[in-house]
Amino acid sequence: MATNNFRPHLHVIPEDDRNRQIANGFAGSKSIAPRVVQILPPAGGWMKTVEKAKDSDMQRYAERRLHLLVDFDRKTDRIEYIKKNIPEEFIERVFILGTFSEPEELKATLGRKGLEEIGESLSEECPACSDRSLWEHALLRHNTEELERMIVSVRSFLFERSEDREHFPPRTGGGSL
Amino acid sequence: MIHRLYVNNFRCLENFDLPLKGMSSALLMGGNGSGKSTVLHVLEILQRIARGENRTGRLLQPEDFSYGRFDAPMRFEIEVFLQERLYLYTLALELPEKFKELRILEEALSVDGQAVYTRKEAEVSLFRRSPNSEDTARFLVDWHLAALPLIQASPDTESVRIFRTWLAHTVLLVPIPSLMTGESGGETLEPERDGSNFAEWFTGLLSRYPSSYTSVERSLRQVMPDIKDLLNRPVSDNVKSLAVRFREQNEDRARNAELTVRFKNLSDGEKCFFICAVILAANESYGPLFCFWDEPDSHLSLSEVGHFILSLRRAFGNSGQLLTTSHHPEAIRRFSDENTLLLFRRSHLEPTSVRRLDEISFDGDLVEALIRGDIPAYGD
Repeated sequence: MATNNFRPHLHVIPEDDRNRQIANGFAGSKSIAPRVVQILPPAGGWMKTVEKAKDSDMQRYAERRLHLLVDFDRKTDRIEYIKKNIPEEFIERVFILGTFSEPEELKATLGRKGLEEIGESLSEECPACSDRSLWEHALLRHNTEELERMIVSVRSFLFERSEDREHFPPRTGGGSL
Repeated sequence: MIHRLYVNNFRCLENFDLPLKGMSSALLMGGNGSGKSTVLHVLEILQRIARGENRTGRLLQPEDFSYGRFDAPMRFEIEVFLQERLYLYTLALELPEKFKELRILEEALSVDGQAVYTRKEAEVSLFRRSPNSEDTARFLVDWHLAALPLIQASPDTESVRIFRTWLAHTVLLVPIPSLMTGESGGETLEPERDGSNFAEWFTGLLSRYPSSYTSVERSLRQVMPDIKDLLNRPVSDNVKSLAVRFREQNEDRARNAELTVRFKNLSDGEKCFFICAVILAANESYGPLFCFWDEPDSHLSLSEVGHFILSLRRAFGNSGQLLTTSHHPEAIRRFSDENTLLLFRRSHLEPTSVRRLDEISFDGDLVEALIRGDIPAYGD
């Protein structure tokens, strides 16, 4: 049985194959509840993630959240561009996060052996406020505002540990684009 | 966890080294005829030896030598990390002139580099070590029989027992759901590759580890939320039959509809859910297990494949090791470059090679690149 479309769930649309691997690590992590995340095929470019988002039946399924996993290619206005192109009816359930440049650079600067490992670490830091050192990396900290918005929306079902689902203290500091 | 599997002069595997160290789960990918099933066959030979079927004539045939090359030995080596120690089992076989059945040329088991036993043709040397002494027992074994299952359990041979038990418990699966009837005439912890003794395996697991029922039920309920419980009732003196009770999911408690379905009448995909649930429970109960599942996506609906693969990978991330093969895009996408191994052969006259996907460069989406045949060494 797939994710239940009438219960809260998260769909991830990765921009490309590299981001798909980050999503694998994120969804397969022990911190994430099983069967609530469905990773969709790579869109083939950040602009195509927007097109796919429009075709995601978001209006039909009110419990669906959508994560567009894109590269920002060092463009600070990309998130605004994407948001302007998502229909207002469901924009509050769409979250745009990704690497400020591209995943390979993140992998190289972190010295990790694979992108999956990065996705897994990101999921583990997600619900915690005390240690988000990876999310605060120079190539990821622009996500802070969007991450906070997403966690508020998904925390009730996304995390495996009940304490992460029930309690989420507000965060201090951070940054955005 | 298997660190390395080395094979030489066996079918399409020549000087073949499968690197699995550090991979709790991995995908074996490759075109048709690239050697994936041959890797499974090698693991099955080793498993059958550990399970006691050690006659070379029952395990291997002369035509298994690569390209009829009888002048060099056929060799298998498996390096396994168990209980913080590195085990290395080696088996080399030859086919001397006028022999019809392969004979053992060399066999050895070592732990952390120290020989537990070695063998040259018929003569086996068993090294017994104690804090104060070291002596060697020598005995002869028919050169058509592997010695591994013949070594008696004793405090001196504890490492043989550990390795043999681990190898016998490996789960090698190419399930044929129609053979999974749910009927059991006994119990075992050694499942067959086609799943035909699934019910015996399930019964054996519950008999020896009753608490594993909770794990099986938890896994099943994630994919079949309307399961009430499982029944394993005697249908004759020696045979039990597995059935599943479902109940209607209705908040109106006044309705209490139930349905009992015999296991053999479940769908092929649902039977695969059962296999998955039992593997995970077995890994928790008597693991760490090594599991090779050939195309676990077979019989599953498109929306299920990704969840299924991630569930398996997540469970084996804690302990044990999972190796799968697949041609299914969703299954392929649930692995990443560092845990995807690509097998390839240039032609039927050349041997199989293996490379990790992160050592191969390609543009764009992996699945599309595979379809286009753009990945070097894939379908070359």
